[in-house]
Amino acid sequence: MEVLILALSFVILLAIGVPIAYSIGISAILTILVSMPADIALSTVAQRMGTGLDSFPLLAIPFFILAGQLMNAGGIARRLISFAQTLIGWLPGALAHINILANMLFGAISGSAVAAASAIGGAMHQQMVDDGYDPEFNAAVNITSATTGMIIPPSNIMIVYSLSSGGVSIGALFVAGYIPGVLLGLALMLVAGVMYVRKKHKLNSVKTTRDLPARSSFIAHFATGFKAFLAALPSLFLLFIIIGGIISGVFTATEASAISVIYTLLLAFMYGEIKVSDLPEVLLNAVKTTSIVLILIATSMAMSWVLAFENIPQNVSAALLSISDNKVIILIIINLVLLVVGFFMDMTPAVLIFTPIFLPVVQELGVDPVHFGIIMVMNLCIGLCTPPVGSVLFVGAAVANVSISRIIRPILPLFVAMVIILMITTYLPELSLWLPGKLGMLK
Amino acid sequence: MKKYLDKTLEYVLIIFMALMVINITWQVLSRFLAQWEVIDAASSASEELARFFLVWIGLLGAAYATGKNMHLAIDLLPNSLSGQRKKNLNMIIHAIVFLFALVVLTLGGIFLTKLTFDLKQTSPVLFMPLGYLYMAVPISGLITAFYSLWNMFEAKNN
Repeated sequence: MEVLILALSFVILLAIGVPIAYSIGISAILTILVSMPADIALSTVAQRMGTGLDSFPLLAIPFFILAGQLMNAGGIARRLISFAQTLIGWLPGALAHINILANMLFGAISGSAVAAASAIGGAMHQQMVDDGYDPEFNAAVNITSATTGMIIPPSNIMIVYSLSSGGVSIGALFVAGYIPGVLLGLALMLVAGVMYVRKKHKLNSVKTTRDLPARSSFIAHFATGFKAFLAALPSLFLLFIIIGGIISGVFTATEASAISVIYTLLLAFMYGEIKVSDLPEVLLNAVKTTSIVLILIATSMAMSWVLAFENIPQNVSAALLSISDNKVIILIIINLVLLVVGFFMDMTPAVLIFTPIFLPVVQELGVDPVHFGIIMVMNLCIGLCTPPVGSVLFVGAAVANVSISRIIRPILPLFVAMVIILMITTYLPELSLWLPGKLGMLK
Repeated sequence: MKKYLDKTLEYVLIIFMALMVINITWQVLSRFLAQWEVIDAASSASEELARFFLVWIGLLGAAYATGKNMHLAIDLLPNSLSGQRKKNLNMIIHAIVFLFALVVLTLGGIFLTKLTFDLKQTSPVLFMPLGYLYMAVPISGLITAFYSLWNMFEAKNN
């Protein structure tokens, strides 16, 4: 009965277009009203929302968002792009690879796929079109590769997962994302390279890419490369501070995020791309993004309390395990459910809602919660790039100025790569767990 | 009226965000300073204050975002409709948000705030009454209710 009220009210509210955060809150209160007097139910839901936000690890989210905004305004994207160019500018379809690598770096620093898609995609689009790349192809590459930043640390969504899983180590999750995230980036490069070469053979009229540095003298190439590296070094050094600090235990994720804000602020001032008078606007933009995430977390905290109170995770777990107690099959079912969820829902609410439901099931089957976090995030990354609801898809299409329907064709092969990497990540737990295990971060 | 509320909220939110950054920066700094024995102990008050600002930013910011219609929603159905039916659906959506804000956030929040003040619950470090923390819920509820009502009339008149 309670499950029915919850599921039905939630689906109806979502379908008619009520904001997701409020849909979660309303379903929670409707469900709990069945088994509790109204005044207690109301004040408990209100309390869970308040205490849900009163958390030290959560503080990292606004700070990483703020740091991302500062990077966007501070000319860091451009420096990362020229660094990526010197690294892999010699590959066929160089600009596509540069786009992917720059997205991996920028996404890694900022922790936001949307920010990466708009900053890197926006900065690279014109150059790619000038060099004869199809705008649809550019957009597809940019969109899919922007999501790698969610998996490569630091990543806000991992903090959200840690919170909704009841305290899986953020440090371990961060480190676990490295290998799968880099693997995803490499797979996208491979597919993009093949697509580029095939297209070029077919048309045979595509202009060659920009004069590659490899053709000039080695010393000149080395000099430009070194200059680009030096320009990108301060941005890359930030990664080193954050991740090094978290791994070595010098500071927590929250402290690292605050350092990241101060550091990017100084960097942006140093580059002279930001003025003190710009700061209120940057802060306000960060507040907007932050509060949209925070209110989702607040109502989800109320919801997860209701779920626990009504024993719903146990019921779902029992139902799933009655279908099969084979780890491989259960993981396939969960992956399929999450893929469908990802079509319709943004990543943060999906993680908040489905972690408390699915995590107990897979834990019972011996899946490590750190590994499951990586699976879940990587799965939902695909949903970020698919219609009807895909925030990265929308941003990527907007910066490339192409319609979404025209992106679908070039993006399909890239999806195949994403799904294959997702499967590999799902069934090879070592990919995620080896690195944090080596560093002694797993319990 | 809405403009003034927008502006006020913006100022408050920007100041809270800035204070939160300063707080945590100070906390990190104080931890190192304590390690190097420049000061006696790392600041624990700053962490508590930063969490306090976080709750307020989350809830007030969410109310502000309601005014700007910025919350994440699945808008396939509203976008597929047109004319009067779209108008009606949008009014229903805003009405639902209004009810949630009024009943759960405002009413539930008032119960909660009153209860924590009556029980004299305080925070562990600063001994600040927790009622000031929870007060963010009903205040956010009232502002959200105002904005969603405003949105409803805008949807009607559009």
